[in-house]
Amino acid sequence: MDLYAQVLVSGLLLGGVYALISIGLNLIFGVVRIINFAHGEMVMLSMYLTFWLNYFFGLDPYLSALIVLPVMFAFGFLFQLFVVQPILSTSATMKIFTTVGISLLLQNLALIMWKGDFRSVQTSYSMSSIEVFEIIISVPRLVAFGAALASIIFLYCFLKYTYMGKALRAIVEDHSVARLMGVSVEKHYLFAFGLGTMFTALGGVLLVPFSSVFPTVGITYTLVAFVVVVLGGLGSMSGTFLAGLFIGVVESFGGTFVSPALKEAIYFAIFILVLLVRPQGLFGQGKGTEEVGLK
Amino acid sequence: MITKKLYVIGAFVFLLLLLIPLFFESTFVLHMYTLIFFYTALTAAWNIPAFGGQLSLGHASFFGIGAYAGAILYVKYGVSPWIGIAAAGAFAMLGGMVLSLPLIRLKGPFFTLASIAFAEVLRMIAIDWRSLTNGSVGINIPFKPALMNLTFQSGKPFYYISLTLAVVVVYLTYRIRYSALGFHLRAAASDDEAAKALGVNTSLAHFVALMWSSAITGVLGLFYVFYIYVLEPQTIFSLDLFSLQPALNGIIGGMGTVWGPVIGAVLMTPLGEFLRFYLGTIQQGLNYVVYGLVLVATVRFIPGGIVSLLAPMMKRKSAEKAAKPAIEKEAR
Repeated sequence: MDLYAQVLVSGLLLGGVYALISIGLNLIFGVVRIINFAHGEMVMLSMYLTFWLNYFFGLDPYLSALIVLPVMFAFGFLFQLFVVQPILSTSATMKIFTTVGISLLLQNLALIMWKGDFRSVQTSYSMSSIEVFEIIISVPRLVAFGAALASIIFLYCFLKYTYMGKALRAIVEDHSVARLMGVSVEKHYLFAFGLGTMFTALGGVLLVPFSSVFPTVGITYTLVAFVVVVLGGLGSMSGTFLAGLFIGVVESFGGTFVSPALKEAIYFAIFILVLLVRPQGLFGQGKGTEEVGLK
Repeated sequence: MITKKLYVIGAFVFLLLLLIPLFFESTFVLHMYTLIFFYTALTAAWNIPAFGGQLSLGHASFFGIGAYAGAILYVKYGVSPWIGIAAAGAFAMLGGMVLSLPLIRLKGPFFTLASIAFAEVLRMIAIDWRSLTNGSVGINIPFKPALMNLTFQSGKPFYYISLTLAVVVVYLTYRIRYSALGFHLRAAASDDEAAKALGVNTSLAHFVALMWSSAITGVLGLFYVFYIYVLEPQTIFSLDLFSLQPALNGIIGGMGTVWGPVIGAVLMTPLGEFLRFYLGTIQQGLNYVVYGLVLVATVRFIPGGIVSLLAPMMKRKSAEKAAKPAIEKEAR
């Protein structure tokens, strides 16, 4: 019983970070309608940035978020401006190839600049944990979960109550109508991509104290983020959050009771199952799904 | 007229290729040609679902399944690889069936994603299932030269085998392209809804295309592993070598055309080897940086691939020669 509770809790905590990374993807997909295959590379870059800030300046990983987040916002903004914007009107295939190309580029640039070593940051709290009802909770994982939850609530309020948030939702709903209503769609695309990348980067920063970074780390996160977004439903924030937790728990149980090597096989099975049974996701309303053949 | 000329040129090139091993003793030259032929066949097989607009980035899975099927049958059970061909094709096709599940409702990016995930999962399984696959150590093909063992003293037989494979597979894709299936796929690629409205079962067409593609790729995997003698999961299921490379060849040559994969493979294989040898030794990963740039640039500036640059030239020539404007077969 204790073991089950233990595995469940660590799964939930990990799931919080997955949710954060996936919400970035969901925002970008919902607004800009592009499937970004380089999404995991955004996580990878922000993890490396955090690592190097710690290595050279001894900056605490959590503090470094103050630098990493604005930098990654700018990265997403520029990525949209120079890479995505010019190909927005082309076919889905062209978009896939462009983002796959960028993903290959970033992975190997990272390999060239920083070598293939697994790198991790050792902090005073990396190994620390607290015990609640005989369940051991790792402190950095708990912090990651809390921060993920807080930023998801922040994003939710932002989208709900601010002018820009409303404009973004209008674009998700129907971008031509939004344009007719005077929303400058292209500007909001830039902003959405920046914001999505920033949230993804926060996920990356929060991962650093308890996991290592290497050039191809992104592939796993791309896969996870897509599975979570599909499971939770495109365009649904709460759905993404719950699906993130679910995938975290699945990974945790699968890793403990089946085999750590096969966790991706379990993702894949869930991915296919969801697509077959309920392609709009568990919580999605099917918005923005026509591009990917879900409607 | 122009097509007749092309056949003559094609036959000439083929004869030339038949003669090459007689004049070049260098193993490097033979190896390079063999690789080009393998990649031509692989890219052509990859291209079959692409006729219907389906972009796979997971063909390493079929390639790997075929390779493992052949190698396990031969090394463990002593079954001749020539018989193993059937198993390689069948098992790879089975893999194709699994991957086709999401195809029932999906197209576009999610299919691509599922194909990547599929290859990743197979890699994990191949590493994990030690009793069958020997884990991450992999399987070595023992060197016992005999025709039955598909093992040879020199590189020449494989030169001819791979040349034959390339010709046969390209011919197959040509037949598929101009069959009912090919037209259904093309209709699905240009407008899935409209095709369905006209009574084309596009899901079935995508499915059949994937079956052909996966079976052929599996057979190629078997031949490849007997060519290089070693089989290990990290290489055979790698995203770079057998998933991305054929896709890259296809898009640069011209995705969804018969000749695009040939042009792509012929251009990109030597370039890839060159980059791997020169840039890759200077700096690991540099070759893929170049690849990434080439990919992004191709999509931006010549989205139809090199074939789309050649096609208008050929059309103009044929138009000049014909007295009246010929009813042009579209380049695709």
